[in-house]
Amino acid sequence: MASLAITFGSGAMTNSIADVVNNKTDLFFMIGSNPDTSHPTIGLRIHQALDKGDAKLVVVDPRRTKLAERADLWLRIQPGTDVALLNGLMHIILKEDLWDKDFVAQRTEDFEEMQEMAEKYPPELVSEITGLPISQLEQAARMYAAPGRNAIYHGMGITHYHTGTDRVKSIANMAMLCGKVGVEGGGCNPLRGQNNVQGACDMGALFNTMPGYGKLDNDQLFDRYEERWQVKLPRHPGKPATEIWDNILQDEIRALYVFGEDPAIADANIGHVHKALDHLEFLVVQDLFLNDTAKAADVVLPAACFAEKDGTFTSTERRVQRVRKAVEPPGMAKEDWQIISELSERMGYSMGIAGPEDVFNEVCELLPQYKGLSYARIEDVGLQWPVPDTEHPGTPVLHTESFTRGKGLFCAGIYMAPKEPVDDEYPMLFTTGRHYARYNFSNMTGKTEEIDDIAPEALAEVNPVDAERMGIKAGDMLRLASRRGTVDIKAKITERSQPGTIFTTYNYEETPVNFLTLDALDRLSRTPEYKLCAIKVEVLG
Amino acid sequence: MKKISLSVDAVQISVEQGATILEAARQAGITIPTLCHLPKKISQESHCEVCVVACEGREGLIKSCATPVEEGMVIITENDAIKAHRQERVAALASIHFGDCKAPCSLTCPGQINVQGYIAHVAKGQYAEGVRLVMEKNPLPFSVGRLCRRFCESRCRRVLLDDPIAINHLKRFVADWCMSNQVDLNIQKQPATGKKIAVVGGGPSGLAGAYYLAKSGHDVTIYEAEKELGGLLRYAVPEFKIPKKVLDYEIATILKLGIEVKCNHRLGQEVSMDELNSQFDAVLLTIGAGVDQPLGLPGSDLPGVRPALDFLRKYNAGGEVKQGKSAAVIGGNNVAMEAARALLRQGYEVSIVNPKKDISGLGANPVAIQEAEKEGARFLFQVDPCEIRQQGSGLELVMNQLELSEPDKKGKQKLQPVPDAFDVLLVDTVVYSQGQIVCQSDETPAADVALSPKNLIKANVKTAMTSMDKVYAAGEAAGGSRPLIQVVSTGRKAAESIHSAVMGLAPAPAESRFNFTRGKSAEDSKVLERFTKQERTPMPTRTPETAVLDNEEVKLGFDEAAAKREADRCLECGCMAFDDCDFKTLCIDNDINLNKTGMGTVPAYSLDQSHPMLDVDLNKCIYCQRCVNACAYEALDLSCVSKDEQGVATGISLSFNDNCVHCGNCADFCSTGTITKKDVLSPILNEETRKVRTTCPYCGAGCQMQLKVKGDTIMEATSESHLAPNYGALCVKGRFAFNFAQDKARLTTPLVRRDGKLVEATWDEAYDVIAERLTKVKKEHGSDSIAGFSCARATNEENFLMQKFMRTVIGTNNIDHCARL
Repeated sequence: MASLAITFGSGAMTNSIADVVNNKTDLFFMIGSNPDTSHPTIGLRIHQALDKGDAKLVVVDPRRTKLAERADLWLRIQPGTDVALLNGLMHIILKEDLWDKDFVAQRTEDFEEMQEMAEKYPPELVSEITGLPISQLEQAARMYAAPGRNAIYHGMGITHYHTGTDRVKSIANMAMLCGKVGVEGGGCNPLRGQNNVQGACDMGALFNTMPGYGKLDNDQLFDRYEERWQVKLPRHPGKPATEIWDNILQDEIRALYVFGEDPAIADANIGHVHKALDHLEFLVVQDLFLNDTAKAADVVLPAACFAEKDGTFTSTERRVQRVRKAVEPPGMAKEDWQIISELSERMGYSMGIAGPEDVFNEVCELLPQYKGLSYARIEDVGLQWPVPDTEHPGTPVLHTESFTRGKGLFCAGIYMAPKEPVDDEYPMLFTTGRHYARYNFSNMTGKTEEIDDIAPEALAEVNPVDAERMGIKAGDMLRLASRRGTVDIKAKITERSQPGTIFTTYNYEETPVNFLTLDALDRLSRTPEYKLCAIKVEVLG
Repeated sequence: MKKISLSVDAVQISVEQGATILEAARQAGITIPTLCHLPKKISQESHCEVCVVACEGREGLIKSCATPVEEGMVIITENDAIKAHRQERVAALASIHFGDCKAPCSLTCPGQINVQGYIAHVAKGQYAEGVRLVMEKNPLPFSVGRLCRRFCESRCRRVLLDDPIAINHLKRFVADWCMSNQVDLNIQKQPATGKKIAVVGGGPSGLAGAYYLAKSGHDVTIYEAEKELGGLLRYAVPEFKIPKKVLDYEIATILKLGIEVKCNHRLGQEVSMDELNSQFDAVLLTIGAGVDQPLGLPGSDLPGVRPALDFLRKYNAGGEVKQGKSAAVIGGNNVAMEAARALLRQGYEVSIVNPKKDISGLGANPVAIQEAEKEGARFLFQVDPCEIRQQGSGLELVMNQLELSEPDKKGKQKLQPVPDAFDVLLVDTVVYSQGQIVCQSDETPAADVALSPKNLIKANVKTAMTSMDKVYAAGEAAGGSRPLIQVVSTGRKAAESIHSAVMGLAPAPAESRFNFTRGKSAEDSKVLERFTKQERTPMPTRTPETAVLDNEEVKLGFDEAAAKREADRCLECGCMAFDDCDFKTLCIDNDINLNKTGMGTVPAYSLDQSHPMLDVDLNKCIYCQRCVNACAYEALDLSCVSKDEQGVATGISLSFNDNCVHCGNCADFCSTGTITKKDVLSPILNEETRKVRTTCPYCGAGCQMQLKVKGDTIMEATSESHLAPNYGALCVKGRFAFNFAQDKARLTTPLVRRDGKLVEATWDEAYDVIAERLTKVKKEHGSDSIAGFSCARATNEENFLMQKFMRTVIGTNNIDHCARL
């Protein structure tokens, strides 16, 4: 989200799910997103919009997904080469004079740099990098640039790379170049993976911004916060979560407070994480379960789950919605707001709140995006931020008149090859995704037995061509090894995987694929390259 | 869009062109019943035809779901012809609907307990929820779980396979489990009403009445004549059947609702009827039938001849001294059995003397009779005690022999005395129990409350009202000696009646008795085929030889494994859609009488359990096709072999194709209980549930969902079709994957590492350790040597607090979360 914040000024989905429901979109440009499995109810609406008739569909995905199968154009791209593709498309759009000159002139800046950069991506080169025929590149460029309300959707298939932010910038560049931002039915629409990842960002649970994306060098803002909170605040950036492990091993970080996460299974290259957790001087974990991270903790605090507390989540379309308490937490478990507030009190600082609504009111007081919100206003239906005042109906489409930052900023992003290309020793690419019936690891979906029947185990999806070549039969156990670790997994032979690439779902603790994945980080957002690494395959039979 | 004007039931409305009559009526707030129709869906070719309406100027009736509105239409949705057509349609569909609405066990229970429901909670390990469910109708699960007559087990359909489920043992198990695990049941009261109710008598019916009155928000005071609450449960039932500590716990659970108790207050002595009437809005008399009917034989007043209740009272108080070595018990009711077993424990040789033909004629719980027999009591039948004579230090019990008469015209035989044939039993003591009454006639506790000829309080069976204004009566005081569950049940019903009266409400309508049933026949092969024989789990019991040596409890109770095993034997007869069956509602609304119109009697289909999340029972399918209409993925293939002239389908087949994403929407829209969710095991029988609207905790789509909550358990998740952003859609995770919330592996207490191990700690201890250690690291290495991860799963409020904590309390920007992971 860091890149959309730079280019547009707001790091969030520019448009709404309602655009899909109400058939406002003329063309869906899906890149690195498979909503049928990651966001099933949104996937459903996209299919329904396509069923109704007029909308076109372009899919960029190495995997043969359901959407790819019904796309008007499916670009089965070499994994990890999206920036080259996007720059190449812009090259064609510029060359064929398909761009929106008025929009670029009135609404954007730094166009020339981007233009120069796009020059360097002629179709021949891009075709070679991406493995796509030139005709497909041209067709894709023409379809997207054609007049109409054309929307780009992207998911973790874009961001989970060390070049993730470049990709998102390239997406933003293409949308601005064609004037597709700020209109109903169009826009750049990142589909957020977790229920409240948007909210956690909005709330400033980030090392480099304050709540509401307030900048750390904004002295006025800090004065305001210090006045409100009656305490001196640190103004230099902190350490991103993904760098913490190195920092711990270098004794720069000595104590860690983990609230509701399980990095011991979820992070890339978890062997490294385990080492760091053992090295810590003091570890607090606050969670629902005694997960792998909690097992290493010095203090474990039992927390309440979504059904046991009041509050709000902010969805991928910036909709702030109520969460309501349905049942009591088990045993002595407490609601997280209560734990943090009581601990704070114990350490000599009063949060001055009596419940979630007090906190929300403080959020609305401090965050410009949430200013006009209150529990009363979202009692029935959530509102989409920004909601600048108490009469404002919410903002289904961002950047309609101007971008949040004023003018949209073109950020030329050059293509960088994946960190870990295949070689003789590790000849296959490895990538991961979510199963539609599962969510991250077993702590949640694993507790519903019936789901085991739908998705009993992780399977390595191997293209028949590769299977033939390597002598893999369906159901064979494979040992996949990367430079970081190995994992044993059953083979499934399917056209869904591209030749040369093995895909698996990552949702199984029994098959911890993150022993393989790469922790190379994106330069800006510090996101690891989950989606791609090189592996070798041993057939265990 | 062009607007069309029309009138529906004389209401003028204007709707968009293209709308159907059904949709137009809905917009005007007029509901036309339908089984097959869904908004925004084109109806199938075949229709349920329940939605027919009349249109002025047109012949016959028209289907409102399939007829577009026209300018100037005059529509009537209710008249005799429409009603007749609907009745005919619904009755035709009912003729093939085969299943049970309520399970036979739940249907039979005099306490209306949701038996199948609590068995299911046991199977799921939700013991506290099981107890709460029992307590909705019976607040004495400990006592009833030990003493119940178990009418439910007599109707359990499992007998078609092997033995009935040990239902009552499961009830006792959940109650005992909650006691030994000190579970706070957290039972919610209604807001205070300001009404004051007196309950006179703290026995089982009084406790039940007080419990439900307090739960309804009334201010309740119990007046108890004895030193402690419990009534006969305390004074007549010995320790070896209900340990006093169990009874104390049970009573404490009830009193937790906030009930005032005044012991040692006997009506007519420490407190008068007038006082109560002047201080309370209503009075419930549950004074019990604590007096044995007089024996009325010559020699009844000899020393050593005693009423059973007097004996038991003294025995239970520990004040009974053995006199001699043999005892006779006259009577065949429960009290007689308890007395016999108590006498056995004192070392008497015990004979139970009875004028009945054999055991089947006795009034006591068959289990109690068996227990007495096993422990060594001798039964003498066909003898009628007629005199007791002093014989030295002992007694002679003279009994007239009885014999069976010649069969009368109907073939019936009666027991009649054999002239001059007498048996004489030599014993040291005689204890008798021939039924209990409220009082001897000359000691009426409340002069203005009329008594029946049997010396019980006269009270209306339905309303519990006595002859005196604002005074009600329940329990054995009004109904005489009867099984405990009935006694408890009268207390609850009296409470409901009092509640309506003091609140000025119309009496709550009686629950509809409308019920589809599969009957009792063994023709259930298609239903039973998926179950295998498994013997009933025996109750761990002390041997009679050792049990009579002391006063300890004889039956030891199920452990968790036994309870689970037994609960898993349940055939789950009752319908999981009981509270959500449009078809049943339609039957009731249209006054369908199944006895006249008929219902399915033979199962035509096997239960299909092949879908991972759903079960399909086509015996209940009325072929309305709403499931197909509801599926957004075209994943259901529904067909039938033929239809008769009434449109009733036979040879129905329903399967799920590869499009199915297991979202379960079809189950939510099924108009019967044909498609049900595997994880919903406990039917909801008119019990209160709460609907909590919230946001799905999975992906970022932010789907709105409704959690159906019962007690402290999430029963299921559904969604509302009018709400953004998902407009009713949920995926398999949203609709099904909430079990983690109530998983046993949840952390329930803080843990602190001590000597290398994580051990349980209090919150204070945990906070102290964190505060001390973080402060130390901060002091030695600076604020930036501490980092925090926040949580993309937690709420905005919590994320806000977490970053605030790191920035203010710790003083670092080392705060981050998994936005990138």
